[in-house]
Amino acid sequence: MIESVFLGLSVASILLLIALGLAITYGAMGIINMAHGELLMIGAYCAVLTRIHLGFDMFMALPVAFVMAGATGALIEVFIVRRLYNRLLDTLLATWGVAIVLQQAIRLEFGLVFFGIHIPGLGSGLQNTGIPQVLQGSWQVAGTNLPIFRTFVIGIALIMFAVTWWIYYRTSLGTQLRAIARNAKMAAACGVNVKRINTIAFSYGAGLAGMAGVLLSGFESVKPDMGSSFVINGFLVVVTGGVSSLFGTLFASGLLGEARAVLAIIYNDVLAQAAVFAGVILIILVRPSGLFSPKQR
Amino acid sequence: MLDLSNVNTFYGKSHILHNFELSIEPGTIHAILGRNGVGKTTLLSCILGLTDRSDGTMSFNGRDIISTATHERARAGISIVPQGRQIFPDFSIKENILMGGFAHPDGKRQVPDIVSELFPYLIDNMSRPGGLLSGGQQQQLAIARALAAAPKVLLMDEPTEGIQPNIVEQIENTIIRLNSEFGLTILLVEQNIKFARRAAKNYTIIEKGCPVDGGLCRDLTDNTIHKYLSV
Repeated sequence: MIESVFLGLSVASILLLIALGLAITYGAMGIINMAHGELLMIGAYCAVLTRIHLGFDMFMALPVAFVMAGATGALIEVFIVRRLYNRLLDTLLATWGVAIVLQQAIRLEFGLVFFGIHIPGLGSGLQNTGIPQVLQGSWQVAGTNLPIFRTFVIGIALIMFAVTWWIYYRTSLGTQLRAIARNAKMAAACGVNVKRINTIAFSYGAGLAGMAGVLLSGFESVKPDMGSSFVINGFLVVVTGGVSSLFGTLFASGLLGEARAVLAIIYNDVLAQAAVFAGVILIILVRPSGLFSPKQR
Repeated sequence: MLDLSNVNTFYGKSHILHNFELSIEPGTIHAILGRNGVGKTTLLSCILGLTDRSDGTMSFNGRDIISTATHERARAGISIVPQGRQIFPDFSIKENILMGGFAHPDGKRQVPDIVSELFPYLIDNMSRPGGLLSGGQQQQLAIARALAAAPKVLLMDEPTEGIQPNIVEQIENTIIRLNSEFGLTILLVEQNIKFARRAAKNYTIIEKGCPVDGGLCRDLTDNTIHKYLSV
């Protein structure tokens, strides 16, 4: 049982990294970014490609993926999302389009690995990143073996949560971002460069997704559509936790990740996903603004 | 110091201000008068670049700012005490005041000294959330926030509207003091003619998005008031 709970925590950690980015872009900036999962996928491919070509291990791939996914996010913001602020549904459609383009672009280049076909630059067969030597094996707690790699994933997610919280509540950047979330026009009238802050925030969220991709490549094979299911679950987390509440996001990713993993072990994965959806619907019915919504005036 | 010439401004397809002319004399209070819905608030939004689109010439300290972004205008020295005060409700009083600092010319984010002199209540309650304050206190907070930017021009939108009567006079005196003691130029949108006459040197009356009358407040006749302002 402890093993299942631990497994759930590591799944929840990936979900947390995804949901933090969505909490910022959806919660604070009012953008539905359907391409968020593809940023995770880009992060995962960064891990694979830097391993093959540059001999990078996962530790070195994390910052590379953060930068690459962050840069992709910045481009998406500057060229597409920037024109769509205050048009929620349009952001959904436009970023969905971006998601399809990114996914198919990667599929065109690397998509045939399933069939064992050799692809220049990627090789053949299913791709995942080797887990570094120090993260292999397990450690024992109360007679239970806990995999070190999953511990590492949980650790990275918690560290990035702390960093995000610190940026959000303790830096000038975070103050400006929270002000924009509340009242963008007034923030601008106070001297906040709204466009610049939005680009930085969007790009930061994208970078977190890239890191999640690297970690995920340690347990799952890397493929062009690996991010799609995560973006849905990420939105469920944000909505359940309460839009624009970082602690709500932390709690809800723990709750949903754990529920999903434990139910999947007891019953099966399909039923687990269905149960999670049902649970989220119930929560939203009872508390439409989420579990940790800020007090409204 | 702030001169609008031939300015048009739009919200979507609605054309709100038409060929607007306005000239603000440095160091004075300039009152903008008019009935509801004639474009007074839009004029302030337009000066800060918060409407959807504007054209014409808007010169501020000799520089045309019509096509610059809102935050650049704020940093150039235009601050606003907006309609409805628009306090950030979950920010503390201190955080609200420091928000104004993002527009400070030196990038300094601190509570200006005059705030403690003008509004001791705010200084004593720095960690209270802005959303919990009364209307009058929020108005003081909005003024303090604007002052934290060390502005050259202060735009004020009906600063005494919706405020309990015993605070109204205090706010009015603060506005007059900001101008007379600290030399701040103030563009004052006001429905309260009595206060506008007491505080302002010049006035402009707006009707249907156009300036229709203006001059020195001491020359503002009851006849003009009746013609343009009585309901």
